[in-house]
Amino acid sequence: MNPTTIMLVMILVPLLGGLGLMFLPRGNDSAVRPFALAYTLLTFALSLGLAFQFDWTRTQDLQFGFFHNWVPAFGLKFGFGIDAISLWLVLLTTFLMPLVVLGSFTAVKERAREFFLWLLVLEAAMLGTFVATDIFFFYICFEFTLVPLYFLIGIFGSTDRLRAARVFFLYTFTGSMLTFAGVLYVAWFNTTLDAATPFTGAGVWSFNIVTLYHAAAYMTVAQQSWVLLALLAGFAVKVPIFPFHTWLPLAHTEAPTAGSVILAGVLLKLGTYGLLRFAIPMTGVALDPVIGPVPGALVHFAPWIAGLAIIGILYTALICWVQKDIKKLIAYSSVSHLGFCVLGLFAINTIGVGGAVAYMVNHGLSTGALFLCVGMIYERFHTREMARMGGLASVMPIWSTFMIFFCLASVGLPGLNGFVGEFLTLLGAFTAGNVLGPWYAAVAGVGMIFGAIYILYMAGRVVWGPTKIPTDDHGDAHGHGHEVKDLSAREIGVLAPLAIGCLVLGLYPTPFLRSLEAPIERLTEPARLMIAARASNQARDAHLTDIMAEERALNEDGMTIIVPELPGLAAPPAVAPPAEPER
Amino acid sequence: MNLDLIKFIPWLPALAAVLCGLCCTKKALRCLAAPICILSIASGFVIAFLHRGGVPPGGAVVPFFEWINIGGFSANFSYFIDPLTLIMLFVVCGIGTLVAWYAAFYMKGDKGYARFFTFVSLFIFAMTNLVMADNLVLLYLGWEGVGLCSYLLIGYYYNKPSAVAAAKKAFIVNRIGDLGFALGIFLVYQTFGTVSLREAIIAAEHVSEPSTAVTLIPFLLMLGAFGKSAQLPLYVWLPDAMEGPTPVSALIHAATMVTAGVYMIARLLPIFVLSPYALPVVAVVGGLTAVFAATIALCQYDIKRIYAYSTISQLGYMFLGVGALSTVGGVFHLFTHAFFKALLFLTAGSVMHALAGQLDLRKMSGLRTKMPVTCWLMFVGCLALAGFPLTAGFFSKDMILAAVMEKGLGEHGQPLFLALGILGLFTAFLTAFYTFRLWFRVFMGPEQYEMGEEHHGAEEHGHDHGHGEDAKPQAASDIKVEHHHDAHEMPLLMNLPLIVLAAGAIAAGYWAEHSGWIESMVESSTAAVHGGESAHAAELFGYHLHTAMMVISSAISILGIALAAYFHWLNRPAADAAARQYKSIVTLLNNKYYVDEINDAAIVTPLRTKGEIFFAIDRLIIDALVTLVGLVPRALGIGARRLQTGALQGYGLGMACGAAVLLLLVLFVAN
Repeated sequence: MNPTTIMLVMILVPLLGGLGLMFLPRGNDSAVRPFALAYTLLTFALSLGLAFQFDWTRTQDLQFGFFHNWVPAFGLKFGFGIDAISLWLVLLTTFLMPLVVLGSFTAVKERAREFFLWLLVLEAAMLGTFVATDIFFFYICFEFTLVPLYFLIGIFGSTDRLRAARVFFLYTFTGSMLTFAGVLYVAWFNTTLDAATPFTGAGVWSFNIVTLYHAAAYMTVAQQSWVLLALLAGFAVKVPIFPFHTWLPLAHTEAPTAGSVILAGVLLKLGTYGLLRFAIPMTGVALDPVIGPVPGALVHFAPWIAGLAIIGILYTALICWVQKDIKKLIAYSSVSHLGFCVLGLFAINTIGVGGAVAYMVNHGLSTGALFLCVGMIYERFHTREMARMGGLASVMPIWSTFMIFFCLASVGLPGLNGFVGEFLTLLGAFTAGNVLGPWYAAVAGVGMIFGAIYILYMAGRVVWGPTKIPTDDHGDAHGHGHEVKDLSAREIGVLAPLAIGCLVLGLYPTPFLRSLEAPIERLTEPARLMIAARASNQARDAHLTDIMAEERALNEDGMTIIVPELPGLAAPPAVAPPAEPER
Repeated sequence: MNLDLIKFIPWLPALAAVLCGLCCTKKALRCLAAPICILSIASGFVIAFLHRGGVPPGGAVVPFFEWINIGGFSANFSYFIDPLTLIMLFVVCGIGTLVAWYAAFYMKGDKGYARFFTFVSLFIFAMTNLVMADNLVLLYLGWEGVGLCSYLLIGYYYNKPSAVAAAKKAFIVNRIGDLGFALGIFLVYQTFGTVSLREAIIAAEHVSEPSTAVTLIPFLLMLGAFGKSAQLPLYVWLPDAMEGPTPVSALIHAATMVTAGVYMIARLLPIFVLSPYALPVVAVVGGLTAVFAATIALCQYDIKRIYAYSTISQLGYMFLGVGALSTVGGVFHLFTHAFFKALLFLTAGSVMHALAGQLDLRKMSGLRTKMPVTCWLMFVGCLALAGFPLTAGFFSKDMILAAVMEKGLGEHGQPLFLALGILGLFTAFLTAFYTFRLWFRVFMGPEQYEMGEEHHGAEEHGHDHGHGEDAKPQAASDIKVEHHHDAHEMPLLMNLPLIVLAAGAIAAGYWAEHSGWIESMVESSTAAVHGGESAHAAELFGYHLHTAMMVISSAISILGIALAAYFHWLNRPAADAAARQYKSIVTLLNNKYYVDEINDAAIVTPLRTKGEIFFAIDRLIIDALVTLVGLVPRALGIGARRLQTGALQGYGLGMACGAAVLLLLVLFVAN
């Protein structure tokens, strides 16, 4: 099959599955679960096929491109295409989905048909977001993910689910409306450009990502700043970056396990993906008609955003430590972890951004797995209060082994996946001279210590310690007086692939990381060049100051003034306008 | 010799860990765990031994597979082997084999038998990676990996709250040091453009004018070393770590893991000498830790804790040695210490085993007739620890003290090192005293003892419960079988590894120093000290410094032992009287200078309070602000309240309308 077709089919299969669910015989829900599982597995198989067809030698190109005109007058298209970053996130999504479905087999007892329908629709929307090469289409998918999740939380959540769903929906929706405004502004700006501007699509309506990258470069820094703030409004809420995170703990605690896993595993990454795909390439450089390329809004804002990320890391890590609800603790830990991811993104170098992308995938696996583990506990005990349970290692050794394993992956133990992202984002921030710097990494690094504190606090409460099985109101142990059951084969089947994923990406991430290099270099190129230019400008200015001081000294001595030749004073290194968009 | 075999040294234990892990799942397989684990460690030792002469000068890199490579950064699973690595491998795999052998008997009947050996195998995997790493990031992997195994093994009796707390404390305190280490790695990468040990060391050797960044590297790395090797102020976790099973204390918390910091500094010596202050700081911290921990050890009653403080103190000596640029001395002491401290812990374990978990010095006495072999094995260990002439500890401690005094009295004598040398001698006296205080109390005097609360599990009584399970009061109450098995000697097979260790504790020092083995090994590794002053310059009291120091430290050691014999064997009432007289000091020392309490009050509680405050801010202020903002449109649209039903149809409609309006608007603008 043609890879482009595979890609389209991959997005359609979950939708078809959802449709198929509706046509399953009524009254008998037993077929619903295997049916949904089959469709998610098929999607996963298709995504693997895509990965095999992918040309790994040019990972930076948006491969398997496909366009279909939608509203030509307005430049709207259905544009698809994937580079390595998209592909890895697609794989993360399709890999998680079957596990989530399998993990929800027994958790959802009523209205199962609807539940799995919404999960499948959600998968299609997420996949659409990652493969979109047209911003308008991206935005539609991005927003559309809210609908299924709204239902998943609102129908299948815990006690306060309606409020959680509403807050979640309104909060993220409001933010992304501003994002949409920013996107429209860039597109509009493009139409104002002279058609002779040297890039394809200049001067006409277009929502093609690459066209808009180029268009945005012609804005002034002030205009770019507004665009960046608008993009941030939506993406920062989604990630979430401190202080826009308060919807997340609420949504997580109320959401059913499947919702939490998808939310933490994939949906939060839509925010960081958006920042990487749009904010970073668009606002990296501003082509000033008079003085040539100057650092774009991104370069000015990066230290501030990174600062917010660091505050978020430490602030939420300390909040984690005082949580009583285990799920809320993990929810807050997501905020802390995503702080590392954002820090890496705004280090704007290959190591930092590479670490951030690695973090997205790794966090999806380990935190997703932690939510699944907590879900399994909740199914047994109907409580998530840490004070009511303890020492589960004695009664549920298999579950405890998995739990400890994923905790370790989450605290960034080297050899497991979490470390790769954490180490690279910190290293990236540390070595990002002229943007961030050692202090950013040093302060954020304290998050490593806090991370160990809260995760081990949780492990010490729940897994270790004297055995304590939660009792219900009548004082009976849960599980109808029977022994607490350890994981079933199905549950092991849910967690084991995740554990293997954590181990493989922890021990042998090189192919993964190498494939990210080229696309990251392409996306960050404008900003990186400007940062390098700024660095050399600063070096030049310092040199100039030295020489002037020398001259003054010479003057005071009444000696002749010698004007030395200044290296590189002529002009800042020219930045070639970004390459032509490919078709 | 084919160096390819080297890569099996870490990965055989890794395989063993997987197999032992599988053994956990089936009860019938449980007994297989110990042989698998022992075999994997022993084969590591054999491989290392086969390579004893085959290491090319300057070391060799054995690449294995790629790990983290991105954007010019590269850290792979590849191994660096030079004489220093070999010494460490001998210690890790050699002691590891012996301890695992002992543990195969010691842990028998424990519910978590296979789990124990899984963790031990995993530990050897991490530790061998640590000492064989060819780059700092792989070293860091080993570093955190041993920390993890330490966490898992300290918390081995996981139903005991104290064990869980101790495990957590160990991991977190180590993490503090590790942050420094990680930042050090970042700075190495930034300055030298590589994390490869060999390349960084070569680059460091060619630095002519060290920049500020370069001189900062050793201080950051040092933090990691102080955490892992339990030095001031990060030592607090080690005494608590004694909650783990005793073989673990012997292997991880005495012989191998805790020496990782010494190894790291020795390995990176060329980077440490870039800063003129780095090594003196190491020496000062080492010297102060040595005396500080020794004073605490004087007044403890728990046998294992006395040894724990003694380990901290001896590690202080190693840092003192490395800090005085005597890497040979530091590594030598690491080598001999591994023998006698492992021996001491394991014999303490035998005592504990015999007395059903009893560790309190006040509740045991005169055990020599009940446990003669253990008695004399521990005696040998105590002699070596006390630095009794001609034992292993004597030679290595002496080498360190002589090097320190050398720096203090030599041509460019530094008063700092003279003071440190005197401090070291004083510590040697304290060491001899507290070591033999313990030995005389336990084995000499009238025979009387109280059994502890634990009893042996399955092998004697058919329970499937281990020590930890039984230590738990509520579990113990329902399964407690009144039994009166008495203190007894350990079986010969269990004592066999101890005899090997005892032989090492006596002879290893003399052999290693007089055959020149240790010196030639260290001097041909990256820990070699270049351009040191001539070692035979200084004199003390008219004698050659080395000779004088030997005499002085012998005298000090014998004096300490004699005093201990008087107070704790011949005239115990005198000791009690003295303790009463200096009650305040004894209380202070017994409570370990209240450091844990101070840390709690100064760090832990405030942080936790911050957490509470932040959580309150999060709920009450940030969330409230959001709600407030959310109320604005609501207030505006009070008339349109019908739309705010919470039903999605409404929102979907709104969304569609909004999009449509925008589209029309934009189309209008476009036209």
